[in-house]
Formats: sequence, structure tokens, C-alpha cells
Amino acid sequence: MLSATFKQDRAYLERKFKQQVCDPDSGLDNETLKSGVMALAEALGDLPHPVVKAKAFEYVARHVRIDVSPHDWFVAFGCWDRYDRPLNPLLVKWDKEVDDTLLTSLQTTQDQNDAGASIMWKDFDHSVPDWEVVFELGFPGLLERARRYRREREERGEMSDEARAYFDGIEITYGAILEMLDRFHGCALEHAADHERLPAVAACLDNLRQGTPTDTYEALQLIYLFFMFGEHIDRFQVRSLSNLDRMLQPFFQRDVTEKRYTTDQIREFLAYFLMQWASIDNYWGHPFYLGGTMPTGQCVVNDLSYLILDVFDELCIPTPKIQIKISPGTPVEFIDKALDMIRRGNSSLVFVSEASVKRALMHAGVPEQDACDCDITGCYEFIPRGRGNSTAAGYVNMLKPFELIFHNGVDPRTGIACGCQTGDLAEIHSFDEFYAAYLQQLDHVVETIIRCVNDFEQHLSRISPAQVFSATIENSLKTARDAFQDGSVYNLSLILEAGFATAVDALMIIKDVVFEKQELTLGEFRDILDADWHDHDKLRLKMLRHKHKFGNGIERVDALAENLARHLAETINRRPNARGGFYMASMHSARMFVVMGEKTGATPDGRKAGEEMSKNISPTMGMDTNGVTALVKSVTRIDSALFPGDFPLDVMMHPATVSGEDGLAAMRRLIEVYMKNHGVAIHFNIFDAKVLIEAQKHPEKYEGLQVRVCGWNVRFSDIAKAEQDAYIKRALSISE
Amino acid sequence: MSSTGTLLEVKRFAVHDGPGVRTTLFFKGCPLHCLWCHNPESISPRPQLACFSQKCLDCAECVPVCPENAHALIEDKHVLERERCTACGACETVCLGGALRLYGKTITVAEGLDLALEDREYYEPGGGVTLSGGEPLLQADFCRDLLAGLKQAGVHTAVDTCGCVNWAAFEAVLPFTDLFLVDFKHADSATHRRLTGQGNELIVANLRRLSAAGADIEIRMPLIPGCNDSDENLRATGNLLAELNLCRVKVLPYHAMARSKYTALGLPDTMPTVDPPDRQTLNRALSLFDR
Repeated sequence: MLSATFKQDRAYLERKFKQQVCDPDSGLDNETLKSGVMALAEALGDLPHPVVKAKAFEYVARHVRIDVSPHDWFVAFGCWDRYDRPLNPLLVKWDKEVDDTLLTSLQTTQDQNDAGASIMWKDFDHSVPDWEVVFELGFPGLLERARRYRREREERGEMSDEARAYFDGIEITYGAILEMLDRFHGCALEHAADHERLPAVAACLDNLRQGTPTDTYEALQLIYLFFMFGEHIDRFQVRSLSNLDRMLQPFFQRDVTEKRYTTDQIREFLAYFLMQWASIDNYWGHPFYLGGTMPTGQCVVNDLSYLILDVFDELCIPTPKIQIKISPGTPVEFIDKALDMIRRGNSSLVFVSEASVKRALMHAGVPEQDACDCDITGCYEFIPRGRGNSTAAGYVNMLKPFELIFHNGVDPRTGIACGCQTGDLAEIHSFDEFYAAYLQQLDHVVETIIRCVNDFEQHLSRISPAQVFSATIENSLKTARDAFQDGSVYNLSLILEAGFATAVDALMIIKDVVFEKQELTLGEFRDILDADWHDHDKLRLKMLRHKHKFGNGIERVDALAENLARHLAETINRRPNARGGFYMASMHSARMFVVMGEKTGATPDGRKAGEEMSKNISPTMGMDTNGVTALVKSVTRIDSALFPGDFPLDVMMHPATVSGEDGLAAMRRLIEVYMKNHGVAIHFNIFDAKVLIEAQKHPEKYEGLQVRVCGWNVRFSDIAKAEQDAYIKRALSISE
Repeated sequence: MSSTGTLLEVKRFAVHDGPGVRTTLFFKGCPLHCLWCHNPESISPRPQLACFSQKCLDCAECVPVCPENAHALIEDKHVLERERCTACGACETVCLGGALRLYGKTITVAEGLDLALEDREYYEPGGGVTLSGGEPLLQADFCRDLLAGLKQAGVHTAVDTCGCVNWAAFEAVLPFTDLFLVDFKHADSATHRRLTGQGNELIVANLRRLSAAGADIEIRMPLIPGCNDSDENLRATGNLLAELNLCRVKVLPYHAMARSKYTALGLPDTMPTVDPPDRQTLNRALSLFDR
């Protein structure tokens, strides 16, 4: 049970990242900070960007408002607004400079984006520090280690100007972090008389200022501080708060054994800790993960894993989001506990197979010793622990090639020639020829986005040097290269897709209706799609009800899906990127299944213009009518190792199907079969359509109702009506 | 293995039809006509067309494909002349709204095995295949052949039966059935006849013989408020069940969710208008059985 004190403090915690809670006298407001940063950058002139950014970081750390509240165990930063961070204007300026002076593909990127063929994402969102090292060294230790690497490089006589700027950046940044810890410590002491909690907060901050965490509370404060320094000042998303049960277990065990804290006190720390991210309320959620295997081969799951789930369950919050890493030793009770939460609607959880992750990464060329211990670094993406970064660099619209074939390389909505010329439709005489044209257009889109990403990503560290992150990555220090640019062992760029299943459905329609039954010519189909099915409602319904849809375990459909997936993956995987690393294909759509759907005309499967497309490796909403086992069969006929970026499946089921102990065991069996067949990630929406319809009509009665969007949860009442309708449509198609 | 069977539905990932994850094959035809039947489409042994009019788009696609002219569009509204329908199923394949559904398709044992084994990966541990209905044992030869094939494949088998069939049907499947799920409705034969159309003597006799034969039996009693939930009946049922060797007794709460199927099939709705029993009533029933 959560304590009465926590319940009283919850209101403060909920508003902590939604409005200014810091004392105005404790520092400068955001607008002044932003102006100050820009003035400072101006004054620093042509100094290297790592130094300028570090100085800006230092300026913010010295002047931002701070607070240590009697309502909280964690400190407050004045730069709490993730959409208005003080370094934003500087980084936007540098980004624009890169756009204006260095990129050769800017217009192409813009065209592809406008036409909805692909979207290049300027990704500074997927960094995960080496948490082992952060815990082992603490902030002062990280600074000392960077200095040591610097000295060694100097002694070897290898210090270039660039390397000097790199180390200067880290030293200034970490020096500023220590200064800010002093500020927090002073603030806590100043208010120590206000509440019995504050002296303990002060002692914690002092310890972290001097060295490494010594108990669970200090470890949690360290994670939180690292996150805030990284994300809110350095502006680099810290995309997992670590393998929380593995990292905290030694502290937890010692605290309880030595009676430093009771389990109830640790429960309270966890509640305050988790509430920080609930309050930040990042749309994409914020991940940490539980489970997996220790380097010793032992299963990670321990008492603390259960405790964390318990607290999360009680809080009933959509974020942070939890990944459960399944390994052979993961206890059934632990999986069942998570599944039971999902069943009850507390569903911000995804299951990820450790074995499938390892298999996929090894397929991508990562050696076994690195592939076997991975951090989850986003919704479900993964990288070798402490040795990598990965950018969600580009999203490919799997439906755009249809429009490009029908219009010989030109996007009909914008008139942009974003495809290649596949010729006159009248010259396409068979499905094989049509499919060849589809692949040709798809390849063109993929090649274009890779060209654009290569052009852009060589400048990542020019736009935003990753100082907080780099200091944690040993390879970066050894090479004196930015860890998010090319200083990690694995500098990976992902090419993601949206609309895969819808594309398969549309191809099957073309095959059946145009070439096998010859009910329509390609030209007639083009005209009908251009008119968004106007006056062809019946035909559209026929296409929607066509039996050959992906996700139903139908062999001929799945064979086409496998072929398409393989082609896509082989076009992308292991292609060198611009950062000394390589590309990996990903069956992950983030929110692009909606965004690119809006930019895509009607498609042969019965989809209307602007509607969302399928996401991840999942079927088009409502098109899997043969039940969940058929869905898993279709999906696992595609080799997940082709998609080392990730391979997530969304499953929706009716609450009656999974009720009782039998229902729980059935959900677990589903996960087991999926993972036995190398499925990577799986998550659930357990819905009754009636409840969703009621919640749409009366949102006030269903404020707590969560839905899983892609790799994150949102409140149902927070999403647009069109998106709500899509969930309802999907829920109506499943039976008990 | 030349027999054929008529099924109304195959349910994959069935979670509540016996232990573990199962595939349940629902057979057409039932000797009982329970007032509360939640599978009215299973009662008649013949194929039947259902029309879920709330889904009908009045698209008239069914009109030209019907060889018997059973479908028409009158004043832009779809009309089905049920007496003309021979349940050929031609209309089901073209219905754009998914309103027309044919219940009753005949399959061979080999086809049945393919369907039943499709998801066998999910059956371990503890799951398997359940034959249900309707009353599967009205098609005992087909069931026997299908169950024999499943046992040969090493799959756990269950038969969900109302028990109101000749003992010969039980004998046919007994060697190939791991678990019998036997529905029991009422201990008093006269009331049983009033509620289901048949007395319970044959059911009770079959249960005793099944128990004596050493079969694993799970009793499933649908609890219908006002029909069979009196203390008197629950006690009498408990006494009767006490004579038997049972693995488990389960009480299934009544629900009226099948009501729309009666209308869709053109059948009189016999479902009682009562609320589902609450948890307390279900527990009371179970406690009376325990005595």
C-alpha cells in the first residue's frame, strides 16, 4: 500500500512537470536563460561546438531555478518543460546552419516528407548511458575517468584540436553537474527545517556530489539526475532508465539486510521515482526494463522486480513504460503478474524476448558476447549494453509505391516526383510485373531516404554534441569521438516502416482482382482510387472483406509477406551509414502509421485516403479475423532476424477470452509460442468494444482508460476521434 | 476414416472449454432444446442461414446469387424469405456487411484433423482439442474417427456433451477421450423435460456408466436464475453427483448475450429475461454441491 504521505504529495508530483514549482528567486526564468545561452554562444564566437554547448550547459546549471520540495524525494529543475528547454534555440540554430550550408539533400528530404513517401527523423532521442559505469563511478568518477583518458591521450601525443574540444566539452559539462549538485545540496540544507525528509535529501545529494550511490534511494536519485541533466539540459533523450531490477538489487538487498530502509520505505521511494515520469508525461512514454539474464547466467528477476511491478500497478500510470525481458529463467509468476496487470487495463508493458534479440543482432553481425546482453533503448529497440547508440533515422511508407506505380513516379496529391518511372500501366501484364514495379518504387524510396540520412547524420555531433552521454561510453573516451556520432562500438541507424501489412493486403487484391479474376484493369483501379472510392462504395467493401489479408495464417498471403519483408530487409541491413556503423531494418512504425497515412491516397485494399495504415508487424486494423493464433502464425512466418531494428506485434483480445486462471495461462502460452518462433516483442490491448464506445461518449467516466498505441500507452480520452474510432473498429472485429 | 461431420464453427485459442489452450469444434445438432441455449444455431442438425440484420447494408449483393430467390430488396430494404432458403451458402460469400452467415458445413475427418491440429503448438502443456456443440455424440462415428486421429497425434481430447445420447455413442469415443465435460441441468426429470424438452434419465444413466468405466468427468452446470438455481435442486444435484467419480464440478453463469442469434435465425426467443447470477449465488451453488 502506498503511504498516506505519498497520497498527500501526489498532487504536487502530478503538477511538478506541468507548471513551475521552483522558487522564482532561486534562478532565472526560461526566457532569460534562453537569451543568456544565445548571448553566451555569440560571445564565444568560433569555439568548437562541444565547448560552446558545454559552456551553455554550465550557464544553465548555474542559473536555472531549482527547488527541493518537502513534498518530494527528488529535486526540481526549473527547465522542466520538455518543449521549451533552454538549449533549444542554440541547437535549432546549429541545425539550421547544417541545413543551410552542409546538406546536399535538403530539398529531397523535404519532398519525400511532403509527399509522405518517407520521413527522415533528426533523432537525438535514443541514447542509453552505460548504467553500470554510471553507478560504479557516479558523477565525480565519470569526470575523473574522462580526465584520465585525456591525460593518457596527451601523454601519447595524440591530442588533436577535435579531441581537445571533445574532452573540454565533457569536463566543462561534468564540472557543471557537480556545481549544480552543490546548488541542490545547499538548497536542501536551507530548507532542512521545513520537513524531516529534507535533511535526508541533502545527505543523498552530498553523497552523489562526492561519489557513488550507497543505497536504493541514492541510486534512484542518481538515475533521475542523470536523466534530467541528459534530457532537460543536454537535450539528449535518455531512452531507458536502465535494467532497474538488476541495477538496484544490490542496494535493495543491502538496505533491507542492514535495516537501513524497510521494504515499505523503498516502496515509497519507488512511487515518488515513478511519478516523476508520470508527471513529465512524454507522449512516447519513458522506458525502463525488468528481467533478462545476468552475465553470470542467472535470471535477473528478484524480489525487487515484483516490488517495482506492485508499485507501478498501484499508481496506475501510463508512463513510465516497462519492458519485461523474457529469458528462459523468467519465473512464470512474474510473467503472470505482468499479464494480470495488462488484463486489468494497467497495460503499459511489453514483453521482449532476450533470445530473439540476441539472434537478430547476431544476424546483423554483432558478435555473441555483445548480442547476449542488450539494453532496451526506446519502445522495444535494443543495443549491446554500454556499447552502442541507434537512431530511428528514417521511416518508409510501404503504401506510397502503389500511388507511384499508378502515376509513374509522381505523388498524385502533391505532384512531387518522389518515385522512379515504372512506365505505363497498360504495359504491366501480370502480377509478377506489378510486384516488380512495386519493389522498384520501394527500392527508390529506401535508397532516397538512406541517401538523405547519410547526408544528415554525419553532422549529428555538430548539431548536438552528446557530452553527458559520451562520458559514460568507454569506447567514446578511448577514441575521443562523440558517442552518439561515431564513438560507440555500434553506431546504428534504423530504417523503419509503416504500412507493411496493408501493403501486403493491397498487393493480394491487385493479384486477385486485377490479374486473376480480371474484374478491373489497373487503369480503372487507379481512377477509382484517385476518386477515393467515390461512387464505388460496394467495391470498396468487397476489397475490405476480401479474404486474403495478412494476419490470418493464409499460406499464399504469408508467402508474399515473407518475400516482401525479406526484400525490404536485405535492401537495408548492414549497409554502411555515415557514422562508421551500419543500417538495420526495423518493423516498427512509431506514430508514422498515422502521420504517413494522412499523406497517402486510397489504396487497393479498401483503405480510404488519409486513413491510418497498419503498424509494426501487425495486421491492418480489423483485418485479422481468424483469431490470435492465426495472427501469430502469419507473423512468425517472417524471420524476425531480418529485422534487427525490432519486430513488435500488437495483439488485441476480448476480456472474456483471458478471464480467470485459464485466461492468464493462455496469454502466457501465446507469448511462449510467439517467442519460441523467434518473435521479438509482443504487447496487448485487452478491450471490450462496448467499453471503448462508452468511453468515447463519456470520457469523464473513463479518465483512467489506457490504450497501447505502438510502443507506448496513452489515455483513450487523450487521442483524436479518428484514432479512437480505429480502436473501436478493431475491437468490434474481435470476439470473445 | 470415411465419415463426415457437420460443424457450425471452429474456435481457436479456446480458453474455457477444458484445460489449457484448446481448439473447439462445435457440432451441429442437439437432442435438447434448452430454453436458455446460448448456441441456438447448434440445435438443428441441418445447415442454417443466419441474417444479422443490424449488420446488413442493404447492398443487395445476395439477391442475384441466390438460386432460390430467397433474398430480395423491397423499398431499398433487404428481405429474406427464409422458407425458400436451402442454406447453400452462396449469399454468405458475397455479403458486404458480414450480415449473412451459414451455420453448418460438412467436413471429412482429414479436414477435421487439419483444423484441430493447426494450433497444436499451443496445446502444451495441458491444452488440446474439445468436441462441443450442439451435441457432438449425435455424430458419434465421425467423433470416434476424429478423436482416434487426435490421440494418434498425441493430443489431449475432450468431449463436451449434454449426455442425452445412446450409451453406444459414449462407448464409441470412450477409448479416445481423455476428458468428458458433461453438462447437467436439473436433478428432477420432469422439470428437466420442461426446461430442455427431454427427461434426465438417460443422462443420469450415462453419467453413472461413464463414472463406472473410469472416465475423467467434469460436470458443468449452467446456472439459470429461476430455472435451476433453487436450493432444493442444487442439493439434489449435489447428492446425485456425490455418487460419481468426478474430476471437477463447475458452475457456469447464465448470460443472455446469444439473444440476437435467435432473431438472426428466425427462431422464437426462449431465453429467460433474468439477470446473470452474481458471484455469491455461484459460490452458494458450489457450496451446496460440496455437502
